[in-house]
Amino acid sequence: MSKKEKKIAPLQEDIHLDIPEDEIWTYQVPGLAAPHINKPYKYYGLKKVIFTLVIIVAVSLSMYFSVRTVQSDTFEYSEIETGIQFDKFSNTGFITELDIDYITEVVYDENNADPNTNFTLKKDTSKPITAIRQYALNCDEKVKVINIGADVLEIDGKSFYSCWALQRIEVDENNPNYCDIDGVLYNKDKTEIICVPTDRDTYLAEKYGYAEYDEFGYRIEPAVEDENYAEYERDVLTYVIPSTVKTVGELCFNYANMTTVYIPEGLQTIETLGFYEIPRLANIYSYVPVNEVTDTHFTSQEALGEYYLSLPEGLKYIGSDAFTQCQALTYMYVPSSVTFIGHHAFWDTCYKQDKQVMGVNVINVGASEEEFKSVETGDSWRPQYDFLLFKKSVDINYSSEREIFAFATPDENK
Amino acid sequence: MSELLNKVKDLGTEIKTHWNTPAEGKYVPYKEYKDVVIGVGANYTGSKVLEYIGFWSSCFLIMHHYKLPYLTFSVIGILNMPLGYITALIWWYVCDNLGFLPKKQERKVYLAYGLMMAFGISTILFDYSRLFDPTSKFITLLNGLEGMNATACFKTFGTHFLYSGWVGARNIFWRKKLIPKYGRYKYSLYCDVVPKCIMVILIGWLPVYNITDVATRVWVANLLFATYNVFGFGNVLEECSKRISPNLQERILVRSYPVKFSHTFNSILAIVLPVIIGALRYEWADINMYRYVIPITFITAAAFTMYLAGRIKERIPQPPIEKKVQIKFWDGMFGVLKNKYLLINTIVGLIDSLGNGMLPFVTILYFYTFRLSGLPYSLLVALISFAGTPPDLLSPYFLKRFSYKQIMIFYQLSRAIGYAIIACAMWFCGDNLNLCGTICIVVLFFMEMTKTVPTTAGHDMNVRIGDYQMYLSGERLESFAGIFGWFTGPITSFVGLIIPLMLLRYGFNSNWDVLFIDESRRNIIVIPIIVDVVGFFLMTIPYLFWDYDNKKQNMVMEVLKRRAEVTEKKAKEEGVSVSGGYTG
Repeated sequence: MSKKEKKIAPLQEDIHLDIPEDEIWTYQVPGLAAPHINKPYKYYGLKKVIFTLVIIVAVSLSMYFSVRTVQSDTFEYSEIETGIQFDKFSNTGFITELDIDYITEVVYDENNADPNTNFTLKKDTSKPITAIRQYALNCDEKVKVINIGADVLEIDGKSFYSCWALQRIEVDENNPNYCDIDGVLYNKDKTEIICVPTDRDTYLAEKYGYAEYDEFGYRIEPAVEDENYAEYERDVLTYVIPSTVKTVGELCFNYANMTTVYIPEGLQTIETLGFYEIPRLANIYSYVPVNEVTDTHFTSQEALGEYYLSLPEGLKYIGSDAFTQCQALTYMYVPSSVTFIGHHAFWDTCYKQDKQVMGVNVINVGASEEEFKSVETGDSWRPQYDFLLFKKSVDINYSSEREIFAFATPDENK
Repeated sequence: MSELLNKVKDLGTEIKTHWNTPAEGKYVPYKEYKDVVIGVGANYTGSKVLEYIGFWSSCFLIMHHYKLPYLTFSVIGILNMPLGYITALIWWYVCDNLGFLPKKQERKVYLAYGLMMAFGISTILFDYSRLFDPTSKFITLLNGLEGMNATACFKTFGTHFLYSGWVGARNIFWRKKLIPKYGRYKYSLYCDVVPKCIMVILIGWLPVYNITDVATRVWVANLLFATYNVFGFGNVLEECSKRISPNLQERILVRSYPVKFSHTFNSILAIVLPVIIGALRYEWADINMYRYVIPITFITAAAFTMYLAGRIKERIPQPPIEKKVQIKFWDGMFGVLKNKYLLINTIVGLIDSLGNGMLPFVTILYFYTFRLSGLPYSLLVALISFAGTPPDLLSPYFLKRFSYKQIMIFYQLSRAIGYAIIACAMWFCGDNLNLCGTICIVVLFFMEMTKTVPTTAGHDMNVRIGDYQMYLSGERLESFAGIFGWFTGPITSFVGLIIPLMLLRYGFNSNWDVLFIDESRRNIIVIPIIVDVVGFFLMTIPYLFWDYDNKKQNMVMEVLKRRAEVTEKKAKEEGVSVSGGYTG
C-alpha cells in the first residue's frame, strides 16, 4: 500500500472477532478499557461515599456561585478620583423616588405590611455622591422621581437609560454643574439638554389636569377627536427647547411621548439617538429667539417669535440614529450649515403603506449637490423603504427651499 | 468523459438494484435514503422553526413583546436548580433503562412525580409568599431579585415542580409504550407532535405579554413556556439516521449526502421565512409572525415528519428489550466515569464555557450593525450557511484522510483566528460599517466553510462514544453522561454568569435598543468574543489525548453484534418473546 493509500484507508475494515458465547460481556478490545457489566466494584461503598461527597460539594458550589452572581445589591458605588460614583441601582420593586445619596441599607418596618411604604433608605451623609455612572439605572420600571443633590458633578447621558416610569429628574439648585427645568435635566448654563424623562407626559398630564387611568393603571389619553385634545397636545405633548441650548444630548428625548418639538435657532448639535424612537413626533419647528426663552411649556407662538418647519439653521451635527423610528414625521429639511450626518440618522422614518411611501419620503437639503459633497455622512443615513424585496433610500432634494407650514400647529389648533 | 458516464450508469444500476434491499455488507436500502432526505428535512426544518420560540432573552417574542429583564432568566435558572438536580437523577435512571423499571420502583417514581405535580399546581393556585412576614429578610431578598417578587418566585418555583413531575411521568409512560415499536430516538414524535402543534398556536395567541406588572408577566410567561416545553419536537429523525447502520462507511455516507441534502428544505425556508416576516408591518417585532407565520410553517413540517418517521430505522446492535442489561443507578454513574472520551469532551466543554452568556454575535451583526431585514438578510444568511455545504459533501474523504484529533484541533484554531479577526475589525473599524461588515462576512464565510467537516466528525464521534459506552456498560448511558456536567457545574456557573454581568455593566438589560449605540454595542460584542478566542486556543489541548480510531470502533461494533446475536439466540431458546433488538 502506498503512503497515500495508507492515509486514506477505508473507515470500515473487515474485522472478525472470535468471541465465545460466555465471554460476550467480558471480552476486552485491545487498547480499550475492559467492559464492566453487572459486576461488583472494588471498594463499592467507599467509592459511593466519595462520589456522593464530591457531587454534593460541586452542586453546592454551583448554586452558591450562581446565587452570588445574580444577587445584586440595591445600591452599588465605587470610589473615583473626584469622590464616590453611583454605579448601579437594582430596585427592590417598591422604590419610586430615588435620592442620589450614599445609601447604606434598606430598613424595613416590621409593623407595616404594605410593601410600598414599609421601608426607609438609610443614608450616610458623610459620603456625598459626585458622579453617576452610565447605565446606573437601566430598564427600571418603578422609579418616578430622581433627586440629584448639590455634590453630583458628573452625570453620564446614559445614566438613566430606559427608565420607563421616570417622570422627573430634580436637581438641587446649589449644584454647580447641573440644573433642571420642570423635571428635565440640563447642564448648569442650559446649553445642553441632557435627559428628558421617558414618562414625563404622565407628570405633565397630572400637572395640567388631564390624568385619567383605567382599571389596570394605564393612563388614558384624550382621543384626537376629543374637544380638549388640542389643549392636551399643547400642554403635554409639546416641548419647547430653551433658546440657550446648543446641544441635544445622547439619548436625550428617546421614547418620549410627544408630537411637537420647538428647537431654537442656535442649536448646533443633535447627539447620537437624540430623538430616538418617538413614534408620535410629527412636528419639528425651529424658532428664532428674540428674547431668552426658558419656559419649556408651549404657551403661544408670539412668545417664541418667528418660527419655521424642521431643523434649525446653524445646526452642524446630526448624530447617528438621531431620528430613528420617528415615523410620524413627514417633512425633513437639512440646513446647509450641517457638516456631519451620522449613520442611520433618519433610519426607519419612512415606511410603505398601500404602495405609498409614507413618512419622510424625501430628504430636503439646503445645500446644492456640489456643496453637499463636503458633508461627512455615515452609512445608510437616509431613510430606506421596501423596494422589490430590497431596500431603497429615499431621494435627496438638493438646493431645496424650506417648505412653509403645511399643517396646523398646536397653537393654531387651539 | 465516458468513464464518468459509466460511473454514473453504474451508480444508477446500483441504486435500482438495491432500492428495496441493501447490498451485501450494507444495511440501508436506497429507498430509505430518499425517506431520510424528506423525513429528516421536515423534522429538521420543524425543529429549526421552533428556535424562534423560547424562554430566553434573544427570542424575538421575549425581546419585542415580553420585554423581560436579561438577568431574570438567570434568576429563574437558579430557582429551578435544586429541583433540577434531584429530578435529573431519576430522569437518567429512567431514560437509560428505556423506561423499563422494576415494578416496585416504577410505582415509587410515579408517586414522586404525582406529588411534584400536586405541589406545583397548588403554588399556581395559591400565593405561598403570604405565609411569610412581608418585611422578613427572605421576602425582601426575593422582592429584590431582578424582574421578580416573592409571589413570582414561589410560582416560578412551583411551576418547575409541575413541569418536572409532568415530564417525568410522561417519560416513563410513553417510553414503555412506544420504544419497543419505534426505537429509542424517534418514539417521542408520536406522543408529542399533536400537543406541540397546539402549544405553538397558543404561544402566539395568548396575550400574556400584555400583563402590566413585570413580575406577574415573568411567572405567567414561565408557566406558559414550561407547558410548551413539556412536549418536544427535537431533530430526532436525524439522531436516528446517525445510527442508521452499524457500518461506519455507510453511516458517514448517509450523514454526508441524504442528511445534508435534507437540510436544503431548511435552507430554502431560511430564505423564504425572513422575506415573509420582512413583509409584515413591524417585521421581527410583529406579533403576526408568532400568530401565523411560525405555526403554519411548523405544522406543515410536522405533518411531513410524521408521514415519513416510520420509514427511517435505527440499527444499533443491541439485545432485545426483554433481555437488555438492567442498569442500576450506581452502575450508571460509575459506568460513564470509566469512559475516557466522555472525560475529554467534558474538559473541552468546560473550556468552551468561557463564552457562556454572550449574546448571539451574528444576529447582532445582521440586525444592529447592518439593519438587515427581508431578502437581503435571507440572502446573506443563505450565502454564509451555504459556504459549509461543498466541504461537507467531501466529509467522507476528510474523515478518511485525517484523524478526528487533527480535524478537531484544526477546527478550534480556525475559530480562534476567525473570531480574533472579527473582534479586531469591530474594535478598530466599527464605525465604518461597510469595511467592518465586509471583513466580518468574509471571515464568517470561511469559518462556516471550515465548520461543517468537524461538525460531521463530531456527530459521528458522539455516536461512536455511545457505541463504546455500550461496549463498556451494556447500555449507551447517554443520560447518565450528564453527571459530568455536575462536576464542571461550579466552574461553568461561575464563568457563565460573568459575561451577563459584564454585559449589564455595558448597558445590556431587557432593552435591546442599547445595541444601536455604537460604543455600547462594541463593548457588548467584542469583550465576550475576546474571552471566547482564548477558550478556542485552550480547547486544542485536550484533543491531543484522543486515541479512539476506526480500528477500535470496528472491533467494538463486532463485540456489540456478537452480544446481540448470542442474547437473542438464548432468549429464543428460552421461549421468551423478543422486541426492539437488532443483531446487525
